[in-house]
Amino acid sequence: MSDLELSMTTEPTNREKSFPTDWLWRAVLPIALVALLLGFAAVDRSVLSPANLLNIAQQTSYLALFAMAQTVVILTRGFDLALGPAVSMVSVGTALAMAGATAAGHDQTTVLLAGLGAGFGLGIACGLFNGMVIALLGVNPFVATLGSYNIAIGVATTLSAGRPVQGVPKLFSQLFYGGSIFGFPATISITLAIGIVLHLTLGRTVFGRSLYIIGTNPRAAAVAGLPVKRILIATYVLCSTLAALGAIMMTARTGSGEPNLGGSLSLQAIAGAVVGGTSLAGGRGGVGTAVLGALFVTILSNGMNLTRIDGYIQMVVLGAIVIIGVLLDRLRQERRQ
Amino acid sequence: MSTVAAAGVPRRPIGLGRLIVGRIGFLPALLVALVVGMSAVDHQFYGLINILNILRNASLLAIVACGQALVIVAGGFDLSVGAVVALASVVTAKTMAATAAAFPGNTALIVASGVTAGLGCGLVVGLINGFCVAKLKVSGFVVTLGTMSATAGAGLMITSGIPVYGMPDAFVKGFGRAQLLGLPTAIYAALAVIAVMMFVQRRTLFGRYVHAIGGNVDAAVVSGVSIQRHVVGTYVVSSVLAALTGILLTAQVGSGQASFGGDRMMLQSIAAAVIGGVSLRGGVGRVEIVAVSALFLTILGNALNLLHVDSRLQPVFLGIIMVAAVALDELSRRSKARV
Amino acid sequence: MDADTDPKPAEPLLALRGISKRFTGVRALDRVDLDVHAGELHVLFGENGAGKSTLINVVSGTFPPDEGTFHFGGEEIRHLTPQRARAIGISPVFQEFSLVPSLTVEENLFLGREVARGGVMHAREMRKRATALIDELGFDLNPSERVDDLSRAHQQMAEIAKALLGRVRLLILDEPTASLTERETGRLFELIARLKSQSVGLIYVSHRMREIRALADRVTVLRDGRHIRTLDAATSSDGELVELMTGRKIDLLFPTITHKPDNVMVDVENLTLADGSVRDVNFHARAGEITGIAGLVGCGKSELIRAIYGIEPIASGTVRIDGLPYEFPAPRRSLKHGIAYFPANRVAEGLALSRPIRENASMTVLDLPAFARFGVLRQAAERISIQGIMEQLQLRPPNIERTAGALSGGNRQKVMLGRALTRDLSVFLFDEPSVGIDVGAKLEVYEFMKRLVEAGAAVIVVSSELPEVLALSNRLYVMHHGRIAAELTGANKTEQNVLASFFKEHLVAEVA
Repeated sequence: MSDLELSMTTEPTNREKSFPTDWLWRAVLPIALVALLLGFAAVDRSVLSPANLLNIAQQTSYLALFAMAQTVVILTRGFDLALGPAVSMVSVGTALAMAGATAAGHDQTTVLLAGLGAGFGLGIACGLFNGMVIALLGVNPFVATLGSYNIAIGVATTLSAGRPVQGVPKLFSQLFYGGSIFGFPATISITLAIGIVLHLTLGRTVFGRSLYIIGTNPRAAAVAGLPVKRILIATYVLCSTLAALGAIMMTARTGSGEPNLGGSLSLQAIAGAVVGGTSLAGGRGGVGTAVLGALFVTILSNGMNLTRIDGYIQMVVLGAIVIIGVLLDRLRQERRQ
Repeated sequence: MSTVAAAGVPRRPIGLGRLIVGRIGFLPALLVALVVGMSAVDHQFYGLINILNILRNASLLAIVACGQALVIVAGGFDLSVGAVVALASVVTAKTMAATAAAFPGNTALIVASGVTAGLGCGLVVGLINGFCVAKLKVSGFVVTLGTMSATAGAGLMITSGIPVYGMPDAFVKGFGRAQLLGLPTAIYAALAVIAVMMFVQRRTLFGRYVHAIGGNVDAAVVSGVSIQRHVVGTYVVSSVLAALTGILLTAQVGSGQASFGGDRMMLQSIAAAVIGGVSLRGGVGRVEIVAVSALFLTILGNALNLLHVDSRLQPVFLGIIMVAAVALDELSRRSKARV
Repeated sequence: MDADTDPKPAEPLLALRGISKRFTGVRALDRVDLDVHAGELHVLFGENGAGKSTLINVVSGTFPPDEGTFHFGGEEIRHLTPQRARAIGISPVFQEFSLVPSLTVEENLFLGREVARGGVMHAREMRKRATALIDELGFDLNPSERVDDLSRAHQQMAEIAKALLGRVRLLILDEPTASLTERETGRLFELIARLKSQSVGLIYVSHRMREIRALADRVTVLRDGRHIRTLDAATSSDGELVELMTGRKIDLLFPTITHKPDNVMVDVENLTLADGSVRDVNFHARAGEITGIAGLVGCGKSELIRAIYGIEPIASGTVRIDGLPYEFPAPRRSLKHGIAYFPANRVAEGLALSRPIRENASMTVLDLPAFARFGVLRQAAERISIQGIMEQLQLRPPNIERTAGALSGGNRQKVMLGRALTRDLSVFLFDEPSVGIDVGAKLEVYEFMKRLVEAGAAVIVVSSELPEVLALSNRLYVMHHGRIAAELTGANKTEQNVLASFFKEHLVAEVA
């Protein structure tokens, strides 16, 4: 039926979901997660060791942040392909700022602030670029972020002259990586906190509500008076800011600004978001789906690493995961109609 | 389209200036300006070696861009082209090496097996892409994002990142690095591809249907056009052309490398298509203009090199130009009366 | 036209028996019978959603029926595809155009059946045939023009030409005159007469009485996907047809409204829109009365109110709200000024179907402190408020957590109307308010408008349904080709005068 036909029909057009099968669909991912863990454990017992499980939790923290960032824009039917290079760019910028501030003889706090300022500043700038090009110039999000992908790579490699940037102070690494907050490792605590705040934002604020409505029907949102352009720009800024936070945390771990830190992160973040249940059609997904998806991808790569599967094969698997994830998303969409 | 909220007034007549720009666009003018400008600034620019270099690189890009253009016209997107270039290169080289070991001296067989294997890779990846997009109805962008990773991984796996040598002289010296009438073979290959693609676009059913599907898929369905077959066809063409490029590169450089093509070439192919007037909405685009656009981008890159602009900054330019081209297309589309 | 009431002795050209079709949850067709004879014009009559579009889609092969038999030209037809349908002579002209905007007219005419050998097309041959066909039809169409460069009327002509290319035995026309001018409609009618004399069968979907009177041999009435009755056109009355279509007597359809025109709330002067769909319009609406705008599809009436609300770009002219100039209108600001707009296409512009009713109803008030403070939603207050409003509007069933997509057309309109009650509004712009709604819900919408206007609001109703807009409005504007053709009140507000004002415009246009 055409859209017009759909609007004309006097009968309701979709069936209410039957309760038990919907529950079954939601359970698929957690079950798959456990199955995956057990599967790898069968090959190599150390997968289930406390040390490794903690490792998984920490790794997931990073990817979960990126998956959350990606989820935010996917909710609005958007996409951020530039996430990976943006992370590299932030890493390099943060390290450079801190190295420069240290060299200029400033005290610890100022150095830290300089680093954070540069890092978040770059993130926000990237988000602003994406948001404005997409919302104001009307460019397709794929192409816009393909453009900023290029630009970010260029900036990252130029600023760093192609080499890692040294000079990240120990305090920085301590705060964002080595230390612990309330007994939890810093990475996990930060991600947890951000996750909670983001969840509340998505569910309880006007901004969050607007994201879901815009993703479901951007035209209706505009006609109803929602400031769609402003919200879209804010969404991309939020995405890049979250990515910047993730980049800062990763830089804290490596102890240097890496021009290739982002690597295949864009793909991994999208894979995580989509596998977890965020719909590329917009309007569906949230913190929960991002975290679940990130967990899945992390367990998968962790398991592959431990069972000594070739790094190149992992690339192939990642590619396959993305396709399967999107396929599942499609099946879910079709069920809904 | 709603019958109740339609604007039904005849269009205002278009001025002649707008008509010309609409047909050819700014591209040729930009190209001429660039060439003239660079010739004035740097005499190395119009040296024979540099020109041949430009033409060779532009040819390779043009081939990939033509395939990409076809996919975008049908309403899709192919991110995997760069990875296919690499894989084809590697597979061709490896196959030739293996055949050479099994049948030493039989040059014809060696070359034939290598080329077939290389093109075969393109065929396989194209079929996977096409199948996922057409039958499983998954977005082309995301599918090819996945196959890009998988294909790149496969290429690296086969070579462990090391270049593959051992190709027959006939292939490398006799073909890849050869010149006919002073021009490298790659140019002839590109011209042939462009000519064929132009013919396909304008004069064959396949070309017509690809445009129809990209322009209004519902209309195509209702007119009895087989959507799936044609969508798969566009992805196959794109991948095979990318594979061809990989083979040509291998012939030129003399080794198969997993580092060929890559993200850079993929982005350039999309930029070339988009700057060359292919609309991301689908249904609009001409390969000859895409080829000119590929030439433009190559000259631009070359100019930036000669002007000693950091090669690391070049992606920045590419990104900005691409976004600008799409934004302009979008803005001009908005001024057209709504259908 | 045959006034013969005896059934034609020959077998019918098209014979459908017991056709049913379901889409998820919707029974679009329920054991429908239809037969069409060669040389007959058979009208399919019914409200929106009655199943007409679905039926003609089945006949043209877009999708198969779930059950029933299909005979064409005496043979049973199974597994019909659009291509096969065209090959055997079934030619549909759809309401939603089946044209590819980026291709030219002739490329569209031949789409799917190009003259080709071995995959290569013969362009010159196709150009020759296209030109011949267009000349024969008497359309003023340029075959090498791109479809998206054409006006809507010309696109409709291209669509019709496309349907007549090749051998046609059964022509299906779905509201073909919706965007045609009088002259083009006349040409179409001539064409139809010629086709009938060539023994072509015609299925004609329309709910315009004048056309049915002028063209039909027989009329089949559909309601809710069911075949109600097939009547002979000559011996049935308008009232009978409408009664069968709606299932209820016609004089119950409109409530009596007391208008008390007060100060001017909306004042539009010399308004011209950027795309030219509205030109030099002077218009005003008062509080306490319903101002109607009538006109054919494409006349600019929807665009006028959309421009006032802020979703059509204005080229020149002024808009004044309650005496004060309103520059650069935009939805958000319009709402703040107390202006609400109810779009014609609820699915595309009104509702987010997969979101709950509650969110859809409150979409326009997220800036109000009652619903959100410092950007944080007041969800309990929202729930209570929307629940109350939906109960007031008698939403059935009253569960506001259901998704809007699960609702019928009438209930969806109620969700939209709920927006009128969530904030202070003084101007209501209704765009085709009763489209896609069953009769019971229509009455509720009219009652709602009555309550609004009797409480002192300025209500503007844009409608292509002449009886509706005549009955509801106190003052009626008629628009034609983007301009105001007439302003009618009191005794002058009659169907005759409305139709006459179109004709007048045409005389002027022809002389000029």
